[in-house]
Amino acid sequence: MSLIVIRNVSYAYNETRNAVDGVSFDVKKGDYVTIIGHNGSGKSTLAKLIAGLLPIKEGKIIVEGKEVNEENIAEIRTRLGIVFQNPDNQFIGSTVKDDIAFGLENKQVRSQDMDAIIKEYAEKVGLTAFLNYEPQNLSGGQKQRVAIAGILAMKPDIIIFDEATSMLDPKGKKEIKKLMYDLAASGDDITIISITHDIEEVLQSDDCIVLNRGKLFMHDKPEKVFEDAEKLRQIELDVPFIEKVREVFAKRKIRLKANDLEGMVEELCRSGSKH
Amino acid sequence: MSNLVFGKYIPIDSLMHKLDPRAKLIGLFLMIAAVFVPKSWWIFLLIALLLSIALLLAKIGIRMIVQSFKPMIMMMIFLLVINSLTVRTGDILFTIGTFAVYKDAILNTMFVIVRLLLMISITTLLTATTNPLDLTLGIEWLLTPLKVIHFPAHEVAMMVSIALRFIPTIIEETMRIMNAQKSRGVDFENGKLSEKISAILSLIVPLFSVAFERAYELADAMEARGYVPGAERTRYHVLKFRFLDFLFMFICTAILAVSILSRFYL
Amino acid sequence: MPIRFKALSHIYNKDMPYAHKALDHIDLDIREGVITAVIGETGSGKSTLVEHLNALLLPDEGSLEILDYEIKANEKQRFLKPLRKDVGLVFQFSEYQLFEETVLKDVAFGPMNFGYSKEEALKRAAEALKKVKVSEDHFDVSPLELSGGQKRRVAIAGILACDPKIIVLDEPTAGLDPKGSKEIIDLFVSLSRSEGKTLIIVSHDNEMVYNYTDDTVVLSHGKIVYHGPTDELFADKEKLKEFNMLEPQIVTFRNELIEKGFVLSREARTLEQIASEIAKQVKR
Repeated sequence: MSLIVIRNVSYAYNETRNAVDGVSFDVKKGDYVTIIGHNGSGKSTLAKLIAGLLPIKEGKIIVEGKEVNEENIAEIRTRLGIVFQNPDNQFIGSTVKDDIAFGLENKQVRSQDMDAIIKEYAEKVGLTAFLNYEPQNLSGGQKQRVAIAGILAMKPDIIIFDEATSMLDPKGKKEIKKLMYDLAASGDDITIISITHDIEEVLQSDDCIVLNRGKLFMHDKPEKVFEDAEKLRQIELDVPFIEKVREVFAKRKIRLKANDLEGMVEELCRSGSKH
Repeated sequence: MSNLVFGKYIPIDSLMHKLDPRAKLIGLFLMIAAVFVPKSWWIFLLIALLLSIALLLAKIGIRMIVQSFKPMIMMMIFLLVINSLTVRTGDILFTIGTFAVYKDAILNTMFVIVRLLLMISITTLLTATTNPLDLTLGIEWLLTPLKVIHFPAHEVAMMVSIALRFIPTIIEETMRIMNAQKSRGVDFENGKLSEKISAILSLIVPLFSVAFERAYELADAMEARGYVPGAERTRYHVLKFRFLDFLFMFICTAILAVSILSRFYL
Repeated sequence: MPIRFKALSHIYNKDMPYAHKALDHIDLDIREGVITAVIGETGSGKSTLVEHLNALLLPDEGSLEILDYEIKANEKQRFLKPLRKDVGLVFQFSEYQLFEETVLKDVAFGPMNFGYSKEEALKRAAEALKKVKVSEDHFDVSPLELSGGQKRRVAIAGILACDPKIIVLDEPTAGLDPKGSKEIIDLFVSLSRSEGKTLIIVSHDNEMVYNYTDDTVVLSHGKIVYHGPTDELFADKEKLKEFNMLEPQIVTFRNELIEKGFVLSREARTLEQIASEIAKQVKR
């Protein structure tokens, strides 16, 4: 059974063009799904529709058997969390622990239980030493970790990452990606939907959705998606480095079959020494 | 800007820091009232003495108090001049040329200045020992009775605490935009009026557009984490009155009582 | 004449208990007419360094010579305007500086501040917008209505229109998608190559640094730990490790090929160039 079912969903901000245009796909429970596409391809709009932050006007989205609409949204939100792009604009509390507490307060967790929960999830994201820190004393990566802790503390089944690493420095990117991979592998059956430009991350995911100008362009395993480099080029998307290597050598009539750089270098060595 | 002392929270640990913000708010309101009632120097001395003890307990150095007085110096001089010119009762204290300065002029001025200084010290005691978030919670509690007339005490408190949270971010943003515009030849310090106006516009417009963007994104983030305005929520920070809080409020009440009584008996 | 930092230090919150020495006796000559990258971890002093180049920050110790100007510590600056005209600084998230009613007016704002007449400023604005490939139908639109990538271009045009001799870019591609980033970088590289402009780019993107820059300055805790040709830096595994730098994949590939005995010339930096040199060795 699919955890999230998206059927013929369209959304328009203005009359000229649909930002999301007749998109349908399913997300299985426990999967790690990446969504790629240019800025303006409709990725973030789609994420907001799933999270009920925009009203669904055409088509429908079903999360855990419940249709996303005004009546169900409060309940669906308790099962679903979203990490946004800008680390500053989602830090609500004055300190790390206040921020993690924000969602708990909304969920009406008892005051006396909160400290234990806050500590547990701060530890999970490695911020135990920072509980009393204010946002201006944290790095971008740390702020995003606070956001993740705040969401995990609400024990969601689904987490959406909306370009959560794109504004971070390399160190921050690494931190957050590691957290995401750990979550995906944790066996807690958390379903992850990640909107990203990071090809390395896409290769780590179970399933990849490519959007172009609001439409579903491809939906397949990441390896399969990247196999067709030409098709991705059509919509000016980047391909993994390894595929680029395969391509430039193919142009020179050298076929490389390996699936990693080392293997390719090996292959080149072998064909080099033959002559 | 960073050496502005008035209203600044000093994050240390002290007896005064531990008091409940509501107790501090109530107590300090009482104290301020007490400062305005008396006409006797003895009472001022008493208040000053007790206040010094409180400041000592709060581990606030004398330097910080003196610093917080600094902005008032001009005002004090102004007061002194005005009073000397207008108050013409009491003995003549001394004359400057043909102009006589009366005793009451100096006395009146001293009274006002002492009151002002005491008030500033009291406010500093509150703001230096109470972190802004706790202060908001305290104010929210004080405003709760107004819910009867549908005053949105909780929403106001949420707004204030978010504003407080974003002040450093906005200051940073302002600096960045100022730098960007300086690089485009804007001179924020000198120039004709028309240039000044365009300089300020070049700062205000981007600042607003960023602030709105932030506000929308923040609203999304709050909603996504289950916030519904007006809905029931629990609280992470639960304020609790303890013995010390009652003691503090009692002392403040006593001071007010003494200063009221002093009007009749001293 | 190069850009010359002489024992330059910058201290934030000087005389305060939490004073912080962001730059510590920097001695540095940046070559003219080439592209120099300034890299280092967050907080290493990159932005502080480049903000000295047009006197947004002034040295607390030492001095800076740039073009015909000399900025010394503890000296009042007399030539802020001409200096800022000659050294254009494009900030991180530069789209936040847009404020005029129309795109064209916004781009003309800088030139007008620097003393060009209105007609001249508008003419320069139009030319700059053409350079960044913003089409003419957008000239009269409010800049706040454009998409993120378009806004960034307009902001950049706002600097180009002032006709700076030196352009400083602080993370020009932060927050853009790969396609948008590439377009922006290509724009600056072609500008540098065709007009011989000195370009200084602060970046976290090692791949971009490797692909496009001639020299690299690596900062760490306010000190320069490397300054030299970019390709030499990336060929040195020890240094990359020491500076905690992620190795771009193309560098890994290149270095591995060399390790396995292939011969690659110094010019072979792009995948195309590497492939063509390797192909000859394989099919010989």
